[in-house]
Formats: sequence, structure tokens, C-alpha cells
Amino acid sequence: MHDKNRKLPGEAAFSLALLVLSLWLTTVAFDISGFEALSAPGSFPMAVTVVLVITSGMIFWRTLRLPAAAHIRNWREILPLRVVGMALLVGLYAMALKPVGFLPTSFVFLAVSIWALGRTSIGYALGIAALSVAGIYVIFRLIFTVLMPEGVVPEREIIAWVQHLLAGGGR
Amino acid sequence: MTEALQYFLTSWLDPQLLGLIALGTFAGIYVGAIPGLSVTMAVSILISFTFSWDIFPALCLMVGIYMGGVYGGSRTAILLNIPGAPSAIATALDGYPLAQKGEAGEAIGISTVMSFVGGAIGIATLAVAAPTVSEFALRFQPRDYMLLAILGILLVGSLSGESLVKGVFAGALGLLIGAVGLDPLTAQERFTFGIIDLWGGISFIAVMIGLFGISEALMQLHHIDKLAVKQAISRIVPSWGAVRKYLPLSLQASAIGVFIGALPGTGGDIAALLAYDHAKRVTKNPEVPFGKGAREGLVAPEAANNAAVGGAFIPMITLGIPGDAVTAIIIGAMFIHGLNPGPMLMIDRPEMFWFIVGALVAANVFMLIFGLTGIRLFVKIVELPRAILIPMILLLSIVGAYAVSNSLMDVYWAIGFGVLGYFMKLYGYQVGPVILGVILSRLIDENWRRAIISDREDLGRLLWGTLQSPLSAVLLASVILIFVSQTPLWGGVGRGLNRFWGHK
Repeated sequence: MHDKNRKLPGEAAFSLALLVLSLWLTTVAFDISGFEALSAPGSFPMAVTVVLVITSGMIFWRTLRLPAAAHIRNWREILPLRVVGMALLVGLYAMALKPVGFLPTSFVFLAVSIWALGRTSIGYALGIAALSVAGIYVIFRLIFTVLMPEGVVPEREIIAWVQHLLAGGGR
Repeated sequence: MTEALQYFLTSWLDPQLLGLIALGTFAGIYVGAIPGLSVTMAVSILISFTFSWDIFPALCLMVGIYMGGVYGGSRTAILLNIPGAPSAIATALDGYPLAQKGEAGEAIGISTVMSFVGGAIGIATLAVAAPTVSEFALRFQPRDYMLLAILGILLVGSLSGESLVKGVFAGALGLLIGAVGLDPLTAQERFTFGIIDLWGGISFIAVMIGLFGISEALMQLHHIDKLAVKQAISRIVPSWGAVRKYLPLSLQASAIGVFIGALPGTGGDIAALLAYDHAKRVTKNPEVPFGKGAREGLVAPEAANNAAVGGAFIPMITLGIPGDAVTAIIIGAMFIHGLNPGPMLMIDRPEMFWFIVGALVAANVFMLIFGLTGIRLFVKIVELPRAILIPMILLLSIVGAYAVSNSLMDVYWAIGFGVLGYFMKLYGYQVGPVILGVILSRLIDENWRRAIISDREDLGRLLWGTLQSPLSAVLLASVILIFVSQTPLWGGVGRGLNRFWGHK
């Protein structure tokens, strides 16, 4: 997508943001230990931030002088609505993960995103989401024994109950 | 020797370990075959789920994914003209025209066998060269390590993206991220802003998952409506005659692959492009012109990119400097498991080295088996709708970031780096140097301080010492050469030389 001889919408602003960030980080790096000694804790961070400032400055200067890309003028092509939507959804998923728990949040996240991205029927999205969550749960929680946040679902009790049931059935 | 063989066979004799290598290779081919999903993404997401494991099973899975993933990229390059991974860009040039002629099966067959040959040569070189390099590396001075690490970041920055300046910026950003936290020598706070959670630094797994998992998934949303093109698959297992005919070329390409892979910071993608170029130069009269379905153009990059896998492990194991982004992640995983890749690893833990070699050989064999048998299944998997695939990757990225230390902080970092990575990719910045920078930050910082302290804080003495040691001088010259080669000055020198030779 990126042509190095043309600038995309927002590219100059992005490179400016990186330059400003680099300048600010340089001041933070200077505050660590100043010019105390070449082996001081702040020397390496200072050198790195100076490189950041020089390179981001060069990138910004070059970007400013580039002609705009003719084929992409619209912000929508750079940042489609579905990218923004998915990024927000991922943020919400992360926030809900601990209080609500892995199983319900993952199910809702997958169902909503599959439904929205694939423009499928709600039933299809719910079915695929349920199957996927079940698959991931079995692989990662039960086989890989990765701890997932339980949240509102009393997982351990359910697993113990199933194990008890299986043990009872076997007797 | 007997001990080495015993360690080598550990993964072969344990059914669980062998199963994990097979699983990893299968998953690697699958992920590699899906355009947009990279091996780096697969390793970075899966690695977070293996932290609670022992190091051996974790390594088996990673090695399998790496080997399978580098090979898997050729599938879609041949079938759809979309390289599944950067290392398969050169494969598409002649692989796709072959598929258009209805020879997709044969193209996949020959590329599989040549990938196996390349992989085997890479591993053999690793087994032979690493102990010697490691012994040599014991004589390295701190300044050599520092220069080698800087060289690695510069190489990956200059060769893999559109401009060195953007590559250097990305590498420096990684170095800065790696410097966050308490200073390892004096415990002074660096970029922590008084936040206690930042004392331990930013989890490199979170950075990695953000840059390679979340940002790639967000980028893929641009192409969500693209439909997979179906291809007919004919004969897969290539004839012995065809293998024999292309074997000499694949051996040459493998040598290129091993060498490029062994350079710190460069991996299969560059090796494949150079090998393609080599094939073009040495094949005087190809049956079919290059770019129109020449089998030589398929054999060379495929042998080279798999040979680069073994090559990339050489600097990783012997010097602790990653050969590419995937080995950078594997180094991170080894740190977390309490291992310290570098020359002392071969002395302290020789079993680790021979275990990795054994696992790589097993992964190479599995790659050959799966490559020649499971083709129809792989084609089906590649056709999986992206509307299902992308949310799954995002979900695994979040859960993976959380699983490392059960902390939401890591998840937020991963999302933050995911968004940053999205814009970086959009505007032509490479993200590979960032992860290399994060991994190498501490190594450069510590070795810089050791070097300058041993030279009594005198920059002149350090420079004089560097120029007097042949190794340090060569490394310094290489660093300077990379810089100069990217400036207008280089073009002027080139033109001047041309004029000089022209007049003669």
C-alpha cells in the first residue's frame, strides 16, 4: 500500500507526532543522570533518544516535501471503519476480560466481530463463536493449562462437578 | 560425542516432544500459508502460552513453527500469487506462472523437496559451525558485542524496508522500549515516570504480540473481502530426475541462505531474493524464461529461505544475537526460562544446543512429510474466511498477552503497540527492527558500559582499542559502510568508480 515517493493522508502528522514524542523522551533521558559519566545509567538512553530525534526529524522533513498520493485521498481508505471498530472492540474485550471472565467475554467478542465483519446471520455468528470458544478453551485451558480469568463463571466448580459426574458414572 | 548424540536424540525418542514438533510444524505450515499471518506472529502468540512449560517442550513447538512457517509461505505464493510470508516473495515470481500452466502440484512438490534440502544444509552448518564460532566468540570484547548488535539492527533496518532512516528509527525505538525500568547496574529509574508497574520494564511479549499479532490482524482488515482463488492440484511428489537436475542449484542457494541467515539481523526473506538473483545469473539457458515459470526460479529461493533457518540459529546460540525477528523472540523465551544464549551456553548447557539441532532435524523431516501429503487439506484451510480468522487472532493475542503474567497491564501494552504497529506498517516503517532493538537493548547498554569503564571513561582510548583489534575494526567498518551506503555519497562514489573503470 505504501509508496515511498508519495505521502498518504495523515503521514506527515504521524511523523510529526513521532518527532515530538522523541524530543520529549530526550528531555526525560537527560534527566536520568545528565552528563555525569559516559558509563552513567542515562548515557545509553540519551544516545538512543538523540538517534530517535535525528531520524524522526529526517523522516518528517522528507515526508513534508513528498507529493500526496493520487490514488488514496480519503481517510476511510487509510483507517477503514472496521479497523477502528475492531480496535475499540478489542479494547472493550480486554477491559471486560477480568471482571466478567474469559468464557462470556470471548463468546460475545467473537460473535459480534464475526457477525459484523462477515455480514453473516446472527445464528451463524453465534454458532461459530460458541464452537471457537469451546475449542480454544479445551486447547489452552485444559491442555496447555493456561490460566484464564474466571470472572462471573464458577469454572473450577463446574470442572470439579463434571469430574465428579464422570467419576460417578464410571463406578 | 556420545553425549551429544544422546542430547540430539532426546526429542526423537520422547513421543510427547516429537508430537509437539510435528504439531508445531503443521501449525507453522498452516500459518505460513495464510497470507498476512507471519511465522513471527504465530511464534509470538504461541510463546506466551508455553511459559509455564519446561524449556524442552516449549522449544520443540517454537522450532516446529519456525521451520514450517518459513516453508508454508510458498503455498499461497504458488497457488494465489500472494506470498504467505516475506520469505516467499521470490517464490511467487516463477511459482505462480507454473500454477497458471496447471503445474501447481509439481511446483509445490519440487519446492517442498528443495526446502527440505535447504533446511538440512542449514542445520548441518549450524551443527558444525556453532561450536567453533562459540569458541571464537569467547575472545570477543564487550565492544565487539556492542558493535555486532548495532550491526544486526542496522542490517535488518536497511535490507528489509523502504529506507534505512525508518529502519534505524524503528531499531532505536526498540532500544528505548528495552531500556524502560530500573537500570540493571545501579537500579536507577529510567523512563518509569514514577509508576511502580514500570520498574520491571515493558514485557517484550506484550510488545511482540502487539506489533506482530494485533497490528497484522488490523492490517488484514483492509483485505477482508478478497476471495481465495481455487487451483487444481495435480501430481505432487516430484520425479527423481527433477530432483537430481536441480540439486546443484539448490546446494548453491542453500549456501547463500546459510550465510545470509547467519548474519545478525538478516533472515530468509533477503536470502531468498539473493538466491533468486543468483539462479538468474548462473542459469544460462533456462527451459522457460525467468518470471514465466522457470523451475530454477522456484528452487533457489525455497532452498535458501529454509537454509537461513539453521543459519539464523548460529548467532543466536553462539553470541546471543538474534539472526532475525523469530530468533529474537526465541531468545526472549530462553531468557524467561532462565537460559542465557551466548558463548557460555555451549559450555554450561551443551545439551540445549544439541537438543535444538535434533529438534530442527525432526521439524525438517515433518515439513517434508506434511508438505508432500497434506496439500489438499492446506488448500482448504487457506480458504477459511477472514471474518472468522481475524477475530480469532485478536482474541488469541489478548489472551496470550494476559497469560504471560496474568496482568491486564501487559494486555493494554499489547493493544497500544498493536495500534502503533498498524500506523507504522501503514506508513512504511518496519516493525522487525523494533523487536530486535528490545531484545538487544540490554546487551548493547551493558557492553557499552563495560567497554567504556575498562577504557577508563575515555572515548579516544575506546576508539583506539577498536581500531587496533582486527575484529572490532571490521565490525566498526561494517557499521560505517551500511550508513554510507544509504547516503547520496555512496552513489557519487559508485559513479566515480564507474567513470574510472570506463576510462581505463
